[in-house]
Amino acid sequence: MSSYRAVQVTKGSGGWGGPLTILPTEEKPYIASVTGGGIHPVAERIAELTGGIAIDGFSSKVEPDEMACVVIDCGGTARCGVYPKLGVLTVDVTPASPSGPLMNFIKESNFVSGVQVSNVGLPGEAAAAEAVEQQKKSAQELKAEARAKVAQLQGQQAPHKPNFIEKIGRAMGKVVGIFYQAGRDTVDQVLRNILPFMAFVSTIIGIILYTGIGDVLANVIKPLAGNMIGLLIISIVCALPFLSPLLGPGAVIAQVVGVLVGVEIGRGNIPPQLALPALFAINPQVGCDFVPVGLTLGEAKPETIEVGVPAVLISRQITGPLAVVIAYIMSIGLYSN
Amino acid sequence: MDFFVHLAEGFIGMFQKGGQTFIGLVTGIIPTLICLITAVNAFVKFVGEERIERVAAKCTHNMILRYTVFPVLSMFFLTNPMAYTFGKFLPEHQKPAFYDSAVSFCHPITGLFPHANPAELFVYMGIATGITQLGLSLGPLAIRYFIVGIIVVLIRGIVTEFITKQMMRRREVRAAA
Repeated sequence: MSSYRAVQVTKGSGGWGGPLTILPTEEKPYIASVTGGGIHPVAERIAELTGGIAIDGFSSKVEPDEMACVVIDCGGTARCGVYPKLGVLTVDVTPASPSGPLMNFIKESNFVSGVQVSNVGLPGEAAAAEAVEQQKKSAQELKAEARAKVAQLQGQQAPHKPNFIEKIGRAMGKVVGIFYQAGRDTVDQVLRNILPFMAFVSTIIGIILYTGIGDVLANVIKPLAGNMIGLLIISIVCALPFLSPLLGPGAVIAQVVGVLVGVEIGRGNIPPQLALPALFAINPQVGCDFVPVGLTLGEAKPETIEVGVPAVLISRQITGPLAVVIAYIMSIGLYSN
Repeated sequence: MDFFVHLAEGFIGMFQKGGQTFIGLVTGIIPTLICLITAVNAFVKFVGEERIERVAAKCTHNMILRYTVFPVLSMFFLTNPMAYTFGKFLPEHQKPAFYDSAVSFCHPITGLFPHANPAELFVYMGIATGITQLGLSLGPLAIRYFIVGIIVVLIRGIVTEFITKQMMRRREVRAAA
């Protein structure tokens, strides 16, 4: 039996990638910590569980092909791409998703991020084997003790306690990293979701406003969306249990109708205080197409899903029009001066 | 010939109008949207999922909190569609009601917090652009949309929970017979 054991590292809150199984070997004994300011607790934990050697990648040089894995605190530019490219399993303690010039090399099979000490554990199989290990515990304990001693010795050599400046530096790095990642997520969403829909909406609006279609549409929309009775009728129809799942996907219908109503409000054909009830009238079908998936996400049993789908659809037939009435009452005084 | 020129101008004019609208949306909405979403995303990351789970799980026992605070928290912090995973904190007969109330909040929240559902902004924003064109401010509409959203979500939760219970009972009776 080799003196090394495998650990599983899963992604932490807000993290990406993994789970990775890390197993040091004779050729690759090092758990490199390239985090600045000593060995990161995550690296220490991995070393403790695997029997590998935790080493500060800043203060001592380690060849990439001697690393069992590398622990980094990169918010998402250079380091998080470099090590996957070099073929080293990469554990990032900041919750970063693949980005930067080397993002093509970052895969779920070689990169895991957002990792905290609690994300490092024995793999599922090892948990089952733990009962067996109980017997050998004395041996394991001895090893653990020896390792703790080694760690202590190493700790005395290296500047183990991060000093004040390092602490500030790390905290700052963490804050900046989080904001940077948040910005990246945001721009990603804007590019992938918001801008395409804006392009679609602008084109429709352009066609409506420039051609005569707008006037034709106004004649259809105004009697329906321009008064309370019409809005109620829209909501009743959209909430019909056999219709609502068809109208739901991607909220595309609700969005397009929203744009059409918005255009008519802008042109003065529909009074602005009806905007609020209209928002509910065009949308009683929200999520009706998604009930089974949503319930599965909530870990519902198959029997619950069977009951849940018709329950939601029937409920909508009542609450859909009711929502319009509530919104109408709540819109009193909106944009009245 | 004039006819063709006219036709071409008309054709291109349609898209020029669309382009103007696009520029209006991009310069008018996107910059604020990016900063707002970035700030909220960062806030959500700072708070962390575990902390939210702990707070959210406390809101599940009271019926009012279960269909107001609970779906709002889940939508704000987990966003669409991961918000529905919070159903795991509830017993089976409340799961459809929670889904119903959470999913019904995924548009009312976008008036104030667009990060929660950036792919479906135009339910709100489509109508909101009309209000902007009239030179009116969006604040009152966004806030009322949010508040009415919470009221509707509460009613939906209670009604759906009631219907689910009835259907489950009927099913049990049928199974027993």
